Amino acid sequence: MKNKKLMFWMIIALVIVAVVIIIKKPTKLGLDLVGGSRIVLEAQTTDTIAKITPDMMSSLQFAIENRVNALGVAETVVQQTGEKRLLVEIPAISDPAKAKEFLGETAELEFKKPLDGKYGATGWAPTGLTGKDVKKALISTNPGGQWVVSLEFNDKGTKKFGELTSKMVGQSMAIFFNGEMQSAPTIQEPILGGHAQISGGDSGFAYEEAKKMVDLLNAGALPVPAKIIEESLVGPTLGADSIAKSKTAGIVGIGLVMIFMLLYYRLPGFIADIALIIYSLLVFAVFKVVPVTLTLAGIAGFILSIGMAVDANILIFERTKEELKAGRTLFTAINAGFDRAFTSIFDSNMTTIITCVILYFLGTSIIKGFALTLIIGVLISMFTAITVTKNFMHLLFGAGQLKHPGWFGIKQSEIGKAYEATETKKEKAKFGILD
Amino acid sequence: MSETVLHQHKWIDVVKYRWVWFGLSLLLIVPGIVAMAYNVVNSPNHSPVKVGIDFTGGTITQYSVNKDVSNSEIEKLRTKLVNQGVENPVIQVLKTNNTISKAENLNASTIISVKTAFKSNDIKAEQKIGDVVKSDYPSAELVQVSSIGPSLGKELFVNSLYALGLAFLGIVVYLSFRFQVDYAVIALISLVHDALFVLGFFAILGIFYNVHIDALFITAVLTVIGFSNHDTIVVFDRIRENSRFLAKKATFPEIVNASVNQTLARSINTSLTTLITLAALYLFGGETTKEFVLAMIVGIAIGTYSSIFFASTLLDWWRERQESKKGARA
Repeated sequence: MKNKKLMFWMIIALVIVAVVIIIKKPTKLGLDLVGGSRIVLEAQTTDTIAKITPDMMSSLQFAIENRVNALGVAETVVQQTGEKRLLVEIPAISDPAKAKEFLGETAELEFKKPLDGKYGATGWAPTGLTGKDVKKALISTNPGGQWVVSLEFNDKGTKKFGELTSKMVGQSMAIFFNGEMQSAPTIQEPILGGHAQISGGDSGFAYEEAKKMVDLLNAGALPVPAKIIEESLVGPTLGADSIAKSKTAGIVGIGLVMIFMLLYYRLPGFIADIALIIYSLLVFAVFKVVPVTLTLAGIAGFILSIGMAVDANILIFERTKEELKAGRTLFTAINAGFDRAFTSIFDSNMTTIITCVILYFLGTSIIKGFALTLIIGVLISMFTAITVTKNFMHLLFGAGQLKHPGWFGIKQSEIGKAYEATETKKEKAKFGILD
Repeated sequence: MSETVLHQHKWIDVVKYRWVWFGLSLLLIVPGIVAMAYNVVNSPNHSPVKVGIDFTGGTITQYSVNKDVSNSEIEKLRTKLVNQGVENPVIQVLKTNNTISKAENLNASTIISVKTAFKSNDIKAEQKIGDVVKSDYPSAELVQVSSIGPSLGKELFVNSLYALGLAFLGIVVYLSFRFQVDYAVIALISLVHDALFVLGFFAILGIFYNVHIDALFITAVLTVIGFSNHDTIVVFDRIRENSRFLAKKATFPEIVNASVNQTLARSINTSLTTLITLAALYLFGGETTKEFVLAMIVGIAIGTYSSIFFASTLLDWWRERQESKKGARA
């Protein structure tokens, strides 16, 4: 009995800790709940890049991080998934199209010289001067009032640019951005100061266009081209709606299950209900500690685990009822109920865990979320449905005979009717006789 | 007749009616198989169940509007999109149970969903769709975009099949280890039974209501497998326990009958509580998980049936055949 009381206080302490965690720690909500954009980029091999190396991936990640930061949105995530993929998460984004446009661009800046020596009617040849030689880009206006992009070269770039312009006086030098010619001014005199300007040709740049180019140049070009292979965007209203709906579904679901348990299993059902509340608190606390990012599928996994959590209690209570009907005392009936139900509970939960582990490792992020919440749920339910319920039942019922069979939802007349066979079993088994 | 551990008057004699259960199972599964065969022949990608963009690749853009959209309006929208250079847009109108944007008091009741081919790095298509929809419905609000590249879709599909295969294998290995091999094989057969029913059910929904399955559907099937296996194990665990104590007193069919009946209340009550939570999710939960939840409701219902009536009687039938073979040899 002393152990039981100690256990009881430990459970209470655990619940208090869980409540404190739930109050103190914020919940991490997934993008499908808060709204936002989730983009998966895949590095592409080209003629010159035969294999994507881990080094390339980390510099790609760096470049993408710079670009995402340039969007000025808080709490963005850039993370490598698999060998050549990057996952980008941008919550609460106002202009998703812009973000998308921003991420996929290689942002390759190239200075080219004409093949025919004058304007390049027959084509353009590389000069070796590229965006890598640019130290800084700025947006400014030219005397004509048009938006232009001002470039400041680094030391190497300044030298290269000076040599090129010295050689190319009277010729055109074309500036290509992402393979598209922006302008091809004629060089009047050598430029040695390390500054250059890109105007948007005759029509000039729109402000947005110039701004984007500046941001991209400052963030750096991508070391390898990257393609968007997956995108999901959730508007903020849908996210808010999903949260509200999940709350309703969760409360209605738990509520109905609790009512059912109370009506069908009476007093033990009431204990199971308390265990279920403890279960929910512990699960949420664990979600916050891990932390698990809650998504719609994750919430579905949690609500499903409620159904599974009471399963253990149903198994135990059904078994306890049988033992009571066989005429056992309360204490032994409760113990037997727990012991005998345990193998079923353990085996069935193990197979759920097996499927969840497989889902976790093979699934996409949505499925991972579902599997993770279900695994946590199943593990915690083993504790609450077995340890907590057993402890409460022993404390409540003590060790005496069952005086009020109605508490268990059985009739006095049913007791002692069945199970003569199981009753005799133990004594006989002592002498090696098996029924 | 007296009430004993092996017989109580209110018990169902499951073993006696086994051909009824086998027949019923056939009746439940065959229409789905027919539907799957129909889809294989008739659908463009020869998939037994209609698959969504998660597996084929593509882009779905959804806008919410605050009024009903008629069929002629959809046709008009389609023409406009095509004129703007959007290739093969498939437009669908979804009704919501109006809580979307309640916070904003928009009372958006309808969602216009436009499906197009996947275009990597092409933002223009998305913008065009937005512009066209907004020109017809100024109140339209972007709700959701999901876009999956075709190669990724293929990869997801293959991964899903791996996951299914591995789950089946994992369960069989675990059960062979904990029980006996024939228990494991029969548990597996009843899992295939359940998975086929759910797939068939969605094949039929695909034909009549144009329902497409997504990556979450595979999750639902896997969960159902886990759950149904749960049920089967509880019954088998009882058969194992009863066999240990009653093997000399009772025949195997009697043990199976007793075990099924002893676990009946549990099987039904567990499924009931799970179905209650799922029904709450279906009725009150988010739109995006509706079909996922439906798949689980269907799966758990069939899983309960199969563990009570199908798996147990199949086990008995199998043991009976083994016995008669042994008898024939001796």
